[in-house]
Amino acid sequence: MGRIFLCWSMLLLLLAGEIVATQSGLDRMICALAVLMVLIIVIGFMKIFQAPSLAIIFAVAGLFWLGVLLMLGSLDSFTRTSFFTSGLPVSHWPWQSV
Amino acid sequence: MSDAADPHGPYETLRHQEETTIAGMWLFLASESLLFGGLFLVSLIYAHTRANGWAAGVRHTDLVIGGVNTVILITSSAIYTLAVEAARQDHKRRAVQAAMTAAALGLVFLLLKAFEWSKEFKEHLFPGTHFAITGADAGGAQLFYSFYFLATFLHAVHMIVGTGLIAWICLRAGKVNPGKSWNTSVEIVGLYWSFVDLVWMILFPVLYLVGRT
Amino acid sequence: MTETPASLFPERSYLWQDGTLRSWLLTTDHKRIALLYLVTITVFFATGSIGAALIRLQLIEPGGMILSDETYSRMFTMHGIVMVWLFLVPSIPVTFGNFLVPLMLGARDLAFPRLNLLSWYLFVASGLLVLYGLFRGGLETGWTFYTPLSTDYTQGRVLPVVAGVFLSGFSSIATGVNIIVSIHQLRAPGMTWYRMPLMLWALYATSVIFVLATPVLSITLLLLAFEHIFRVGVFDPALGGDPLLFQHLFWFYSHPAVYIMILPGMGVVSEIVSTFCHKPIFGYRFVAWSSISIAAIGFLVWGHHMFVAGTSLYAAIVFSMLSFLVSVPSAIKVFNWLGTMHGGSIRLDAPMLYAMGFIGLFTVGGLTGLFLASLASDVHLTQTYFVVAHFHYIMVGGMVSAYFGGLHYWWPKITGRMYPEMWGRIAAALIFFGFNLTFFPQFILGYEGMPRRYATYPEQFQVLNVLSSAGASILAVAYVLPLVYFTWSLFKGARAPGNPWAATGLEWQTSSPPPTENFARTPEVTSGPYDYATLDRLNRTAAEEAPHV
Repeated sequence: MGRIFLCWSMLLLLLAGEIVATQSGLDRMICALAVLMVLIIVIGFMKIFQAPSLAIIFAVAGLFWLGVLLMLGSLDSFTRTSFFTSGLPVSHWPWQSV
Repeated sequence: MSDAADPHGPYETLRHQEETTIAGMWLFLASESLLFGGLFLVSLIYAHTRANGWAAGVRHTDLVIGGVNTVILITSSAIYTLAVEAARQDHKRRAVQAAMTAAALGLVFLLLKAFEWSKEFKEHLFPGTHFAITGADAGGAQLFYSFYFLATFLHAVHMIVGTGLIAWICLRAGKVNPGKSWNTSVEIVGLYWSFVDLVWMILFPVLYLVGRT
Repeated sequence: MTETPASLFPERSYLWQDGTLRSWLLTTDHKRIALLYLVTITVFFATGSIGAALIRLQLIEPGGMILSDETYSRMFTMHGIVMVWLFLVPSIPVTFGNFLVPLMLGARDLAFPRLNLLSWYLFVASGLLVLYGLFRGGLETGWTFYTPLSTDYTQGRVLPVVAGVFLSGFSSIATGVNIIVSIHQLRAPGMTWYRMPLMLWALYATSVIFVLATPVLSITLLLLAFEHIFRVGVFDPALGGDPLLFQHLFWFYSHPAVYIMILPGMGVVSEIVSTFCHKPIFGYRFVAWSSISIAAIGFLVWGHHMFVAGTSLYAAIVFSMLSFLVSVPSAIKVFNWLGTMHGGSIRLDAPMLYAMGFIGLFTVGGLTGLFLASLASDVHLTQTYFVVAHFHYIMVGGMVSAYFGGLHYWWPKITGRMYPEMWGRIAAALIFFGFNLTFFPQFILGYEGMPRRYATYPEQFQVLNVLSSAGASILAVAYVLPLVYFTWSLFKGARAPGNPWAATGLEWQTSSPPPTENFARTPEVTSGPYDYATLDRLNRTAAEEAPHV
């Protein structure tokens, strides 16, 4: 009971943090806060550490392949140099400045 | 289903069945995460290759409704977790009450979402020939709104399924003498409900926050 | 293993325990669901074959024999979609997988029996939707549904077909979840991971792909349908969208799906090779882990389908190098099968003929894959008949051979009847011969530059095309043969003993056909798989004791 209330308040705090970060234009901060919220839900609400150990294996497997999808899937778009739209070459990684 | 393991089923004990069901649900959710993963790949790529248009789209979303809806979902998920705890302690009545509250909050979320959609339709934010945002970034903004409508639609479908599952839980609580297998059902529906909440925790910043200023 | 006394088992097997139609349609018995699937996919296999027959008929003449250009496009699309999603992807996992996983584990059923039945209904619904779309006009996009052809320019029935394929995905996911969770949770006492037959390792690897790749196909098709229905841009280049993004998403599923279409076949072949050589599989752990690594690496290589599509050179190089990696575990399997056969006393019954066909044809298919994984040679060979020949060597030469091999191998267990051995061998030889005659000329055609997906071709390619079509007609006869003698054997075949092949594995320790609850007592496993020494000792003891009984 108390633990759930704690998780709930932490989520609300993080949400407020996200809004503040938005107003300051801190996009990376928003993403970090969103990841924290996901973790709180997985640990606090879905109780992954009390679940059978198989659950953790499945969750990690899902997360791993999600990473593969996002990384290898964006590889082409972020390194393409021969593809022009509105005159701008699309040739930078997201963390590089154009 | 009764308290004893079904002698024709594949399980020796009820605990074994319970553990297996929960593991199976986690595996299904891993699968679901890749369903949304495909969507997030689309947003990841367009948010960077069409950054200006994408950001123009983000600026047109309604932050107030989105924020309120986020609070509602967080609360709903928390309350359903209370239902799971109550079911574990065999407090059936409390479990059903909490589950119904959670589902009601889910319905409020859906209503607000529908209102937000109708507002956006009126403002010609649905991609097409009369699209509201014009200029150099119109294409990227249309891509954003294509993503917006499909992502929120898919999430809403999951919400509706979740609400249906909670209703099923409550109905079953009235019918059978809910033994251990009912508690397991409460638990796996909870996993699903929290997962839908979790997806929104990522969708919300992607649709409303990142790139807004 | 010796014949267990019949009194240990109920009089009636799973086949006849309750004979009503209702009991079949509402069954949660994995063995019955396997049979429902078997009948269903046989219908789809026949449907897809008609498409293939028309394609080969058309290509006898350079100007085309019977079909208009547009009908031809619709025909190869129909052939591709039906064969991939309604036959090859489900084939072995839903039939032998469903039937054997609990039996091989020593369990009474799969972990989620009702989900298993649901997956069959989803599959039937998806099949009907696809067939509805195909018979109401079909579509001309090819099985890959590339945008913007499929969204903006198509005249065909994209929506029902896409909806059908979307549904079939959920059926696959349900099967995958069931198999993975069953293997984790329902192993009999003593059945450790390294005591599992290799078939289970292969099915586990396949299921990982089912569960983790199929959802990406679902979302891809959803995006496609969304763009098609509402005419909004998702992949539309006019809005700055990226059509290649569709291809990335599509192949993220569809390349691993290629391994869905071969891994279970490898599992079947491992079982057959071991049984008919009467030897444990050489390098068991390597074969087991090579299944897992094929599934894992299979997720990392999809970009090789897009080398000439305009992807970045950087991405192409990464995908090319990763593609070469897949050949390592594949080669491990081939060499270990050969190592198992080396020095064994090989019995050349029909299942073994199919298995040997598989090894040879898969090797040809695998080696020609290296040409397509290399950037330089792929530019020349892609979109030609070389590619068509390459993947048919894997999918038809490999998977369909393994499917037929498995069907002959487990037929006595499934039905309790023996098939006629001589006819089995004739069909196996005919399939091998017909297959090579059909597809080997296509390697040469492709190398000489004949593009795929065209209804006509220049005259200099006619001889090879006629050869290919002749092979296809032999193949057609060879596929009908088993249908005839299997049906015959259901009524007239000799009664099958519990273990007709002197094989190891728990499925052979119960009666043929098994009782509904699979085993009278939950079996206890005390030794590794393929333990022929123990099997032979028990058989000798039984033979010595027999006169006194």
